[in-house]
Amino acid sequence: MESWHRGRSLGDRLLLLAVMLLAIAWIAPIVWVVGLSFKPNEVLMRSTGGIIFPPFTLKNYTDILAASSVFGWMANSAIVAVGQTVLTLVIASLAGYGFARTDFPGRRVLFVLLLAALAVPEQAVIVPLHTMFAQAGLHNTYIALIAPRLAFPFGVLLMTQYFRAIPAEIEEAALLDRASRLKVFWRIVLPLSIPAQATLGIYTFLHAWNDYFWPLVSATKPEMYTLTVGLASMQTNFAQTEGIGFLMAQAVFAGLPVLILYLFFQRHIVSAVAGGGAR
Amino acid sequence: MSIRRKLPALPSLTVAMLAMLLAGPAMAQQKTEITFARFFGACEGDYGTSQDVAHARGECGVMTTLVNLFNATNKDNIVVKPQIIEWGPYYQQLNARIAAHDIPMIAVMHTSQLGDYTRYVEPLDDLLKEAGIDATDFTANARAGVTVGGKIYAMPWDTHSWLWHFNVGLFKKAGLVDAQGQPLIPRSVDEMIAQGQQMKAKTGKPYIIIATSGAGDFANGARGYYSWLYDQNGSIFPNGYEKADFKTPESLAAFSAYEKLAKADLLTKGLDGGGAIGAFLNGNGAVYLTGTWRIDDFLAASAKPGSPLSEGYTARVFPNLFKTQSVWTDNHSWVLPKGGTNAETHKAALIFLKFLWDHNFDWARGGGHLPARQSVMAEYAKLPLRQYVVDIPTFGRALPHEVHRQFGFQNMIGEEIANVINTGKTADQAADAAQDRSVALLRGR
Repeated sequence: MESWHRGRSLGDRLLLLAVMLLAIAWIAPIVWVVGLSFKPNEVLMRSTGGIIFPPFTLKNYTDILAASSVFGWMANSAIVAVGQTVLTLVIASLAGYGFARTDFPGRRVLFVLLLAALAVPEQAVIVPLHTMFAQAGLHNTYIALIAPRLAFPFGVLLMTQYFRAIPAEIEEAALLDRASRLKVFWRIVLPLSIPAQATLGIYTFLHAWNDYFWPLVSATKPEMYTLTVGLASMQTNFAQTEGIGFLMAQAVFAGLPVLILYLFFQRHIVSAVAGGGAR
Repeated sequence: MSIRRKLPALPSLTVAMLAMLLAGPAMAQQKTEITFARFFGACEGDYGTSQDVAHARGECGVMTTLVNLFNATNKDNIVVKPQIIEWGPYYQQLNARIAAHDIPMIAVMHTSQLGDYTRYVEPLDDLLKEAGIDATDFTANARAGVTVGGKIYAMPWDTHSWLWHFNVGLFKKAGLVDAQGQPLIPRSVDEMIAQGQQMKAKTGKPYIIIATSGAGDFANGARGYYSWLYDQNGSIFPNGYEKADFKTPESLAAFSAYEKLAKADLLTKGLDGGGAIGAFLNGNGAVYLTGTWRIDDFLAASAKPGSPLSEGYTARVFPNLFKTQSVWTDNHSWVLPKGGTNAETHKAALIFLKFLWDHNFDWARGGGHLPARQSVMAEYAKLPLRQYVVDIPTFGRALPHEVHRQFGFQNMIGEEIANVINTGKTADQAADAAQDRSVALLRGR
């Protein structure tokens, strides 16, 4: 402890204090949510304070687990999130590399269109998108849950910028050795872009896991619900007043797999988010 | 390395899951399956296998046990498959399903929405007869709710309405009770303000608790507005349904009642639904504005010794402050969306509707709403406090079916009333804003 104090300036200590305060401010609502999830609903109807005092209950969680479909919903979410993440990485990497390193007719126009697509809100395209999948008879399938999210302009932009930052000389040496573009991409560029891939992968996975609106209108059969839609369907009409503990348990339950994933891949995720993607 | 080894298992897992999904319907082939789209939540933890309808509580409990009972006892080999959707986005999903031709066979619908859906649901006049459901047993309110242009488009399930829920202990403390110890009900806006001021002076508590800040809370202000508008026999469509008029004397009087309460600081400000119900249960307000569906919750709370409601709780119809008693109402109902059933499932759907109709009292008892059947109303009136609300179906009103986007109107009016309560907007300003905003709502017809 003494050595810690000796080794750091006042500025460092103040910074550390500020970070600690921010961390507490950030974690407090999460602790509150977890605390509420263990309280009986009828108690929470009167007050949502005093989470550290009894009575406590596991009923909110047992009610979730009692839903026969809950693990099916979780599996659906996992399939959709993993599918979206893998395919987004493949598409965004290839497209990004194309924009960054190859010259083809209409490249600039296409890139401008890509940037313009960033400004189009999801709500603006939801009706044609839904109609398109309805006409193809694809609703209530994994294809419908995954495919619309693969058009992800931000991902392409991120990968383009990242590839542009990699010195071209590295690739030129390989090209002189008669390696094909695809080989250069696969053997040289892709391994160098792992930090950006990790950033994009985490972002895509979390977005897919938490997605609600599209699965709501596309997956209408309970066996095709994702976890977000399935858990929401369990809410009573007056959940915000009479089922607060249950709502909080749903939030914890839905977040748990992501939290477990984070615990396993903590080192990679922190390094990816902290700097890898921006390099 | 280990991930690469595991990856090949994924396709086989997916194939296995798909095979299971495909095999499921084949195994149930001998049964006629009815898809049943509804909100009201899921409660498998409490009622997953229960068929004890008589003891089920809450909307979810009653619906779940009814389906369980039907699936276990029907002699026609029918199995009802609930498709439960969250209440908030229910209609968006239903619209999407209709557009995608993924249509449920039976769906719940508020009758306030029915005018928007007549093109998409089957007229039921003949089908109800075929099912053995006696439409002459509908209450007047239920009949009006499900009838559009002279045709019945839904089987009514209930009437729900807007009440004043009283903390009788606070009314006693404020000296606002009659000889029987029952709260005095105001008969005019001035009387209401005077009572509120007396309550505040004697108890220090707000007279009225109302939730106005959550996204789902805007309906609260609107339901009171409609009730006071209807008490004056007013309408926001006095000259046809192409143009709304929020500046009629009746409409301004309804907005003004809220403004007077807010200016006298007699109602709660900025509370959401959870905060409002907590305030009432903790004795932090004398009257709570909410629906018929809360009576049993508050009765249960008042039965607990030491509870702030233990000195007495009661409920009354939203008070008439003007000419003739009326009140806002809406109904849950069951529709058969067009294209949902085929020749095989049509009969099964009607059998299930008849089963529901036969259990309408169970829904009213446990779900907290008024029955849609006249023939069970006497039995309903015997339930605690129901004698005070049992007449609602005779005088309750709703917007005409010709008014489309009724939830849009409800939210918009509620937002303006929330502005009056929380931000000091005047009744005139609120009416002006509602007038402007109604143009956009009607333009989308």
